[in-house]
Amino acid sequence: MSEHKTTTEQLILKLSHAQVFVYLLLVVITILFLFVINAYVFRMNFDDWQALPDPRLLWVNSGSLIAASLGMLWASKASKNGNRDNYKLGIFVGCLFALVFLIGQLIVWQQLISLDYFVASNPANTFFYLITGIHGLHLLGGIVALAVVAYKSQRLSDVVLLSSQTSLLATYWHYMLVVWVVFFGLFLTT
Amino acid sequence: MAFVIIAAVIVVGTVLFNLVTPWWFTPLASNWGSLDQTIIISLWITGIAFVLVSAFILYCVVKFRYSEDRRSSYEPENQKLELQLTVITAIGVIILLAPGLVAWQSYINLPENGLQVEGVGQQWTWSFRFPGEDGVYGNTSGSLFSSKNTFGLDPNDPKGQDDILIRDRQVHLPVNQPTVFQLRSKDVLHDFYVPQFRSKMDLVPGQHSNLWFTPTLVGTYEIACAEYCGTGHWAMRGEVVVEDEAAFQQWLAQQPTFAQTMNEGSAGNGQQIVQSLGCVACHTDNGDSAMGPTWKDSFNTQRNTTTGETVLADASYIKESILNPSAKIASGFAPVMPAYALSEEELDAIVEYINNLSTE
Amino acid sequence: MEQSATYEGQPLHHPKGWWGHYVFSQDHKVIALQYTTVAITIGLVGMILSLMMRMQLGFPGLFDSIDANSYYQDVTMHGMIMVIYLLTALFLGGFGNYLIPLMLGSRDMAFPFVNMLSFWVYLLSVLILISSFFVPNGPTGAGWTLYPPQSILEGTPGGDGLGIVLMLVSLVVFIIAFTMGGLNYITTVLQSRAKGMSLMRMPLVIWCIFLATFLGLLAFPALFVGGIMLVFDRLLETSFFMPEIFKGGEVLDYGGGSPVLFQHLFWFFGHPEVYIVALPAFGIISELISCHARKNIFGYRMMVWALVAIAAISFIVWAHHMYVAGMNPYLGFFFATTTLIIAVPTAIKVYNWVLTLWHANIKMTVPMLYCLAFLITFLIGGLTGLFLGNVSADVPLSDTYFVVGHFHMVMAVSPVLALYGGLYHWFPSVTGRMLDDRLGKIHFWITFIGTYLIYFPMHYIGFLGVPRRYYSNEQFDFIPASVGDLNQFITICALLVGASQFILLYNFIVSATRGEKAPKNPWGACTLEWQTLEAPPGHGNWGDRLPVVYRWPYEYGLPGATADFIPQNVPDEQIT
Repeated sequence: MSEHKTTTEQLILKLSHAQVFVYLLLVVITILFLFVINAYVFRMNFDDWQALPDPRLLWVNSGSLIAASLGMLWASKASKNGNRDNYKLGIFVGCLFALVFLIGQLIVWQQLISLDYFVASNPANTFFYLITGIHGLHLLGGIVALAVVAYKSQRLSDVVLLSSQTSLLATYWHYMLVVWVVFFGLFLTT
Repeated sequence: MAFVIIAAVIVVGTVLFNLVTPWWFTPLASNWGSLDQTIIISLWITGIAFVLVSAFILYCVVKFRYSEDRRSSYEPENQKLELQLTVITAIGVIILLAPGLVAWQSYINLPENGLQVEGVGQQWTWSFRFPGEDGVYGNTSGSLFSSKNTFGLDPNDPKGQDDILIRDRQVHLPVNQPTVFQLRSKDVLHDFYVPQFRSKMDLVPGQHSNLWFTPTLVGTYEIACAEYCGTGHWAMRGEVVVEDEAAFQQWLAQQPTFAQTMNEGSAGNGQQIVQSLGCVACHTDNGDSAMGPTWKDSFNTQRNTTTGETVLADASYIKESILNPSAKIASGFAPVMPAYALSEEELDAIVEYINNLSTE
Repeated sequence: MEQSATYEGQPLHHPKGWWGHYVFSQDHKVIALQYTTVAITIGLVGMILSLMMRMQLGFPGLFDSIDANSYYQDVTMHGMIMVIYLLTALFLGGFGNYLIPLMLGSRDMAFPFVNMLSFWVYLLSVLILISSFFVPNGPTGAGWTLYPPQSILEGTPGGDGLGIVLMLVSLVVFIIAFTMGGLNYITTVLQSRAKGMSLMRMPLVIWCIFLATFLGLLAFPALFVGGIMLVFDRLLETSFFMPEIFKGGEVLDYGGGSPVLFQHLFWFFGHPEVYIVALPAFGIISELISCHARKNIFGYRMMVWALVAIAAISFIVWAHHMYVAGMNPYLGFFFATTTLIIAVPTAIKVYNWVLTLWHANIKMTVPMLYCLAFLITFLIGGLTGLFLGNVSADVPLSDTYFVVGHFHMVMAVSPVLALYGGLYHWFPSVTGRMLDDRLGKIHFWITFIGTYLIYFPMHYIGFLGVPRRYYSNEQFDFIPASVGDLNQFITICALLVGASQFILLYNFIVSATRGEKAPKNPWGACTLEWQTLEAPPGHGNWGDRLPVVYRWPYEYGLPGATADFIPQNVPDEQIT
């Protein structure tokens, strides 16, 4: 019997384990957000819906999230090239701007509360807090994962070993950005 | 072998049970025999399927017992057989579904000239409304509910002035007349179900739902709430009295209109309040024991509580028991009463009512 | 990017010390046992709760402490524990974790660390659920379906207290655990199979668990969203599901919400959930029936297609739980049709199991007894579903004991029979010993006959119209006294069946250490989990070299071979 280097069956998808895991996770998260959007659209047709004002800060926050994604893109490229310095810079930018986004979102919440837009006073308010809250929590989860990878990068000499994990994190960042754009668009147009 | 015998007994017993069962449909008292028919057809088809498949299983178990010298036949698949079985099953499914859908079409088609009645559910009792002379229900709103305006009717809506209010859990209906129910809930989900009429539908707070039936047999029937609505769900009993047209009209003429109830006096009387708030679901006025202590002959008596104290059931005790029921629970009763935020006027009216239930 | 296709490139995690071996293990077999232990323990709690309910129904007034509040708390916690924390966790977390890597010829799951994490998060969800028993006013009594508005209001136990909050938090945590575990399973099944193990050579139980996992990943988000919105309504007084409510003499501070929206979200999850429980049971039966009848499963390909069809259609039948909920009545036509359509692939599976017995060579072992009992009880449960799925027939039967009888038959009786069969079948693989046969048969007979006697008559009091979730029937004249007698009879059967489960527990514990030593592959099965070098399988499962697969998993009774079975990893040249 001949020796096989590959001792497993032909893969269904030419993806690594981690890629299948993360992509499927994104599918599940998408379904979650679709349900929220469904409930939102269903509810906004009722008479008591009072749209919120557009806080300017949301635009700034969106910019932060774009910067975060760019940082992660940079880190991803740097890790493929084994460029340790650029890698660390990219990770730092990605993490920092994600945190800036989250803090910015909390400030928006504070601004709205100070204008008496409480969570329970109107369904539009409730949905705003719910959606930004769930999105924020998912982003926070990503930041935790990023912290783990950043910690690993301290101990490894060659960042190429982290390239697959970093590019998956970058994918997650881009996904969170896309989700935010969709929700922001929804808020702006309703 | 033991298995085959016991399983055969189970299968035969299952079929025979249908012939001897003491529990079967209640006698039909409405036009919805088609629903019974659909169930009977389903029983026949599923019964035949059950017997055939079970018999086949038991046959195989007997015939193909393990033996060292045998081998099972090697037949990975038989597409033709699978296809045939699929087709037969599909036909069986269609035979089941078709009458069911026809009956459903009829069930959801509310008759245009039916007698209009509204059923209002709350924790844990029923009340009813007829649209009155103008044949149109008055507007209602959730924010207008109070123990006086127990149907939440808009007093400024002229259509509501002649609505006939049944502030009681018993409603009368004329026999042989198609009756269209509009259903509404004041608080949580309930379900209007009269077994003899077969029809049921949930009452959803914040929206209307409908059902219709034609009562065909004179009699008194019980309404059983069929959607879990809290600790008193099992005690949420109402009544439908089906009678001939003349008796029905006579009964209806004795019921007050909305306009009349609005003129009844300030806080309304205690008896109306306890009916409209649903207290009667758990407390009786005739001495019978229920989920809560009876009011009859209770005022100013000594009462033991579950903590071992003895208290006087006076006005302040009664008011406390309404505002904060869990403070003192009468011994022998469960701590299940929810709190009611009533005004001083309403509380006084109730105390007076309970006082009057004492024989001097 | 290079395919990280194999475990051979990745180091296997080796546990350190006692804690690393037995507590924080990343070995799927240990994790499977952990899931199984916790699930069975919480299942015993659920069973005791059901016996308390039965005491009230059978002997009302005997125990003063069972008042309406505690009764509804028992009903609710019993339901939620059994469906989610026992059945889902045991079938997927227990059987799934144990069987997937072994049956696929893999060393472990794709992400062993995440696998371990999923167990601990599941345990956390169980602990949160248990804690609701100890808060003031106790756990929620809202019914396992948790419908608002009543579930978060006073008047329902736990509604205005912590009971409902802890339940919802526990569910959210469970869903996180499930998602972690589920993603792991999908990745492993898709990407981590041994050479030669194509998808159409996977054992049916793996197909079933794989599809059930998919169902869960796509359906649980609906419960997640519904649960979060319900928690908001409860804690922040928002009105996702809360319309204007007049209660306790005052108009509450809610408005504009829709209780029916919650039902849509809940049942969009809830219906696939029942298939998440049923599918692994189907899979277990497929494995057991072919192995113990010494015959290939009939129609393997159709079985796979039927499973895929069932999984897909299960997403478009949910509102058959809502025919009388006050939704648009025209939806009834659609959902009745899809519901009766799903009966067809389900029936095909039943035919194929039954046809597996035709011209077979049937050994009446304890697992086979469970298979046969499964078939009979699943027939009853599945066929009664046709009554309820048919929208107009559902009108008089909805929310009566007919429903209670139906769902217990399909969710409790038949899957649990399959589960017990699976435990007897795979016990030798896990422990290297056999479960005692005589005790097994006694346990089987009491369980099978007992549960049949409990649930079969319920359909008839359902025909009568006895509603479900009633603390007592004494208020109603249309319910005769004989129903009380029946309830007494059912309670006695339930107590006997409940007691007999301790026979299984005893059998487990004693046989694990003192049972008859099992020969390798005692049942003569073809699937890979029995073909490991060591029995029970050691860490890493396959020793130095992963197996290679040459055939499908049901090579029983191959013409021309001396043995009546050929394991999957035996090449043609080696068949004698």
